Amino acid sequence: MSKNFFFHFRPRHIPAGALCFTLTWGLGGMAALMLTQQLLTGLLLNIFYQPLPVLAYQSVEHIQTTIFLGRLVRNMHHWIGHALIIVVFLHLLRVFFSGAIYPPRRTNWFVGLGLAFLVLLANFSGYLLPWDQLSYWAVTIATSMLSYLPLIGIPLQEMLRGGEEVGAATLQLFYFFHTGIVPASLFLLLLYHFWFIRKAGGVYLPHKKTNPEAVKGKFVPVVPNLLVRELAFAAIVTSLLLLFSMFVDAPLGAMANPHLTPERVKAPWYFLGAQELLLHVHPLVAVFFLPLGIGSFLILLPFIKAKEEQPQRWLRAVFVIGIVLLLILTIIGIWFRGPGMRLMWPW
Amino acid sequence: MAMVEKISSSRRSFLARIWVGLGIIALLQLFTGAVAYFMSGRKQVEKNTPELLRAGVISDFPPGSVTSIVKGHLYLNCLDDGGFLAISRKCTHLGCSVPWVVESEQFECPCHASHFDVTGDVLKSPASRALDLYPVSFEKGVVLINISTPIKRTGFVREQLVYAQKSG
Repeated sequence: MSKNFFFHFRPRHIPAGALCFTLTWGLGGMAALMLTQQLLTGLLLNIFYQPLPVLAYQSVEHIQTTIFLGRLVRNMHHWIGHALIIVVFLHLLRVFFSGAIYPPRRTNWFVGLGLAFLVLLANFSGYLLPWDQLSYWAVTIATSMLSYLPLIGIPLQEMLRGGEEVGAATLQLFYFFHTGIVPASLFLLLLYHFWFIRKAGGVYLPHKKTNPEAVKGKFVPVVPNLLVRELAFAAIVTSLLLLFSMFVDAPLGAMANPHLTPERVKAPWYFLGAQELLLHVHPLVAVFFLPLGIGSFLILLPFIKAKEEQPQRWLRAVFVIGIVLLLILTIIGIWFRGPGMRLMWPW
Repeated sequence: MAMVEKISSSRRSFLARIWVGLGIIALLQLFTGAVAYFMSGRKQVEKNTPELLRAGVISDFPPGSVTSIVKGHLYLNCLDDGGFLAISRKCTHLGCSVPWVVESEQFECPCHASHFDVTGDVLKSPASRALDLYPVSFEKGVVLINISTPIKRTGFVREQLVYAQKSG
């Protein structure tokens, strides 16, 4: 029974070439593993968390100080959440550069983009839940950005906040997103994502046409060859995450105070590139044209003609330049901005 | 024979289309139902009833003073000529709380470094609009601020100032 279920996602035999680690760097599997860890740690946190202002902050403190292993569970949930963003980003890069975005895998590229969006949404909705100064003001800034959207901006902002300001209604809504609809959609879409890989004939082997040996080479059974490799990799990743969470605590600032914006308010680091842009451009660009541009670029990518099953050279160049720009803006935002958003040296 | 087949297949596809259409209508109903469910639970805030905040007696606010009124989330400024302005603390850029900095005599936003002068006018971007105002009135020597609706403005004009002696 369990074996039958497993073989819905995995074939019984795969080409020996597909076992090569550098084909995927284990990134997709790592993301799925970490999502499962988020589900488990999230369920544990949810036992004690209370989604109401003041109580929310106190319950997080309670989890950290009095619950057995509570601090470790929160640390894990916090750090895996951050690490997921990086892993998903790297996975996206790997898929693009190995050329696995063209039919029959094109639909799965879209499913993957949807998953990436949901991971960002999960991160962002979780950001408000500790109800400390940082989460309160970061969410105030982020939802204020919506008000610059033409026509729908202010109604959308008030709908998300459940009122004019970030408050109890906002927390309730974000809690519902974070623990309800987002994880549910994530795991449904994830099943679809896995099934699609199977349907497209397993993990992408580059140069099918130019190098038929890779596909036609000898086949090996999935159990134990692939299974053992995956379990070993999962064990390594889990121990590294566990070690990191044992020694580095997740931050918890002072309780949210709607009357006082602290000196250093920064958006979550993965939005700092956009925040850096906010200092130089009209918010409409950062909140509307930039996401629209990046989104449609990623969706249109697999429709641009490939050369020998690979993205063309100019397209790779555009992709690399975009990533470098994003990295530069993000690095400036993280390390080179001091109090009051003044430029400063990090040392 | 071929004729019959054609007719039956078009009848079949017609019926299939009806099913698809019904399915779409059902989905739309479900969606609007869900949205209505969601929206009806939100608090409706009455925006038009004035909510008057008694800030204090006029003599508490001498000319050239900037006083923080925590409850209304605003500053009550009395300019050098005795004109009053109730200025919202909410930055017009992205909604951070803007403190009055005594040394520089400016409002300085900690989030994206917008600066505003004593009248709430923009001195330094990224904010593009002056800070919002609340209507100020006087009653028997007490300063009243209507905090129900902030008034949006692009910049400062002298007409926005309210003087105590004029309204008695």
